[in-house]
Amino acid sequence: MFFKIAIRNIFAYRKRSIITVILLACTTALLVFATAYMDGSHGRLIQSSVEIYPGYVQITHQGFRENPSLENLIFDAAQVSESLQDFPGIEVLTPRFESYVLFSSAEKAVGGMFTAIDPEKERQVSRLAASLKQGSYLTSTDQALVYMGSELAKRLKVGVGDQLAFVGTGADYSFAADTLTVKGIFQTGLFDFDSRASFVAKPYFDRVMAAENYATHFIVQPVRPAEAATLEVAIGQRLGAEYESASWQQTMAGLVQAMRVDSIFGYITLAIIFMVIFFVVMIYTLLVVYARVREIGILRAVGTGPGQIFSMLLLESVLLGLVSVLLGGLIGGALAYYFHINPIVFSGFDEQFKQYGLALTAMPTDFAPLVILRDMAVMFVLSVSATLYPIFKVNAFKPIEAIHHV
Amino acid sequence: MNQPFLDVKKISKIFHPGREVKVQALVDISLTFDRGEFVVISGPSGSGKTTLLNIMGGLDSPTAGDVFLDGERITGVEEKFLSRLRRDHIGFVFQAYNLIPVLTARENIEYVMQLQGRSRSECDRRTREVAEKLAIAELLDKLPGEMSGGQQQRVAVARAVASRPKLILADEPTANLDSKSAEGLMDMMQSLNQDERITIIFSSHDPLVIGKAKHSILLKDGQVTADEFPG
Ligand SMILES: Nc1ncnc2c1ncn2[C@@H]1O[C@H](COP(=O)(O)OP(=O)(O)OP(=O)(O)O)[C@@H](O)[C@H]1O
Ligand SMILES: [Mg+2]
Repeated sequence: MFFKIAIRNIFAYRKRSIITVILLACTTALLVFATAYMDGSHGRLIQSSVEIYPGYVQITHQGFRENPSLENLIFDAAQVSESLQDFPGIEVLTPRFESYVLFSSAEKAVGGMFTAIDPEKERQVSRLAASLKQGSYLTSTDQALVYMGSELAKRLKVGVGDQLAFVGTGADYSFAADTLTVKGIFQTGLFDFDSRASFVAKPYFDRVMAAENYATHFIVQPVRPAEAATLEVAIGQRLGAEYESASWQQTMAGLVQAMRVDSIFGYITLAIIFMVIFFVVMIYTLLVVYARVREIGILRAVGTGPGQIFSMLLLESVLLGLVSVLLGGLIGGALAYYFHINPIVFSGFDEQFKQYGLALTAMPTDFAPLVILRDMAVMFVLSVSATLYPIFKVNAFKPIEAIHHV
Repeated sequence: MNQPFLDVKKISKIFHPGREVKVQALVDISLTFDRGEFVVISGPSGSGKTTLLNIMGGLDSPTAGDVFLDGERITGVEEKFLSRLRRDHIGFVFQAYNLIPVLTARENIEYVMQLQGRSRSECDRRTREVAEKLAIAELLDKLPGEMSGGQQQRVAVARAVASRPKLILADEPTANLDSKSAEGLMDMMQSLNQDERITIIFSSHDPLVIGKAKHSILLKDGQVTADEFPG
């Protein structure tokens, strides 16, 4: 019977019901979509950043992360590759050897990073090959050919085909030097990286730097990048105490933090919108409930308990809230799904994004049903709690006051 | 000892509409009523009729004094108890707008019975019975907004009587009706009083209505100036 009264009142006070449903549904849709967009763009941004160079999972020798010295190198790279061969969850595993050398061209001498990579495997774990700007990428048989960042090339005033020399320390602390030819120039858009990094094929590096079978670290490309953290733990267990592994969340803690801050600002903006909606819903409920004070007084006079009145009014808000949230969730979810399949393209920004090496012109939203349900639940609680004050307020009338209320 | 059905003992009521303002609406009122009486409370505007009816029905509490219904004290008790008392033993009819606007006449009549937890079939039977007596059988599926004032008051009386209360309190039930409807309503209330042996106490200004009562109480300035049994 209370259900019947609640339903009839929802239809009787049509204006309030429609406005409430529209407002709440729009807000729910907005929340669902905003969350999908934020999660989607963060996911995309992380993906791009991680994939430019750092990689999802890093394996180093015990102690190397705190003290990256030549004593803490991986001295048997073949053994690491072997023990992780066919390891479930690993798509590609590739060694790198990072060292620091002094480059000198006809014009200038500049310090930089000189890194050995396996050119073919590297293609699958980072965007180095894809960030090619001039010349060409490396192959594993390349001898004395270097692939360098655009800013570094600029500082050295060298172009593709130009020669330069390097001086460094070999893995055996020996003096190492050679003359290199620029094979290709890349631009990732990460300024710092582009102005320091250069790459050569590992077989060549091993020979000139006396680093045969050595590596500073390995990079793992997971089959499912989203599960990098779990994969990292499993790898750590397999390799034992001699090695250390770290997921991108650990190696790029700063980025994770930045995303979190961005989300917080996003949620603060949403919270302000929610506050406005909260008060609009509350005011509408107050109006409607006050229009019914006398009626409620009569109900009380004929013996309806305050708890029964409370549940009757609450039932109305619950029903309105449910309808709104379902509607909004459906709309928001549909939008999130649509833009998940058909990513939002920031036309006009293409050049800007490309310049950053981030293929970010298309920004797909995240489509996560559980997150949508969570947002819907949040909105439902919000919508019902907006009506609590009016309900308590009107229920606080004594029956006699309510009947004589005008 | 033969206790009265409704016993009003030394009731006073003081309202405080402002900080310094006091209104003494009822002054030391004592009255007794027997089961099955048909009583009118009359008096000029502001004499305290509404206040007295509200206190007798457990809707308002007196500043001093007590009310006993069937030997049970109904003053100075918890609101929870009063809610149940009103639901099970007292029927109210107010001057106007007594009905729930979103419920049909039938649903309004059944409302209190359903609160009491009566069965579907009992509600049906009883609704048909009282609708017959109040000549509203044709109106049962109408909403209050589709009925005249007189029809609405008859539905309100039907609701009050349907739940088989011990006592019906009606505060100027005819005040908003034309004299023909008023007389019709009073006649029906009178026959309900006789058929069902329900005690009915109502207030009125209208001499025509007052004349129908068998027990007449006159209030003035919150005091009983006459308590008599005409006819
Ligand atoms: N809630 C209240 N606050 C303050 N004063 C009140 C209140 N209710 C009633 N009074 C005062 O108490 C007195 C009695 O009022 P009551 O309504 O009982 O009279 P009444 O006989 O029913 O009058 P009427 O014929 O106009 O309905 C009046 O002076 C009135 O102003
Ligand atoms: Mg009155």
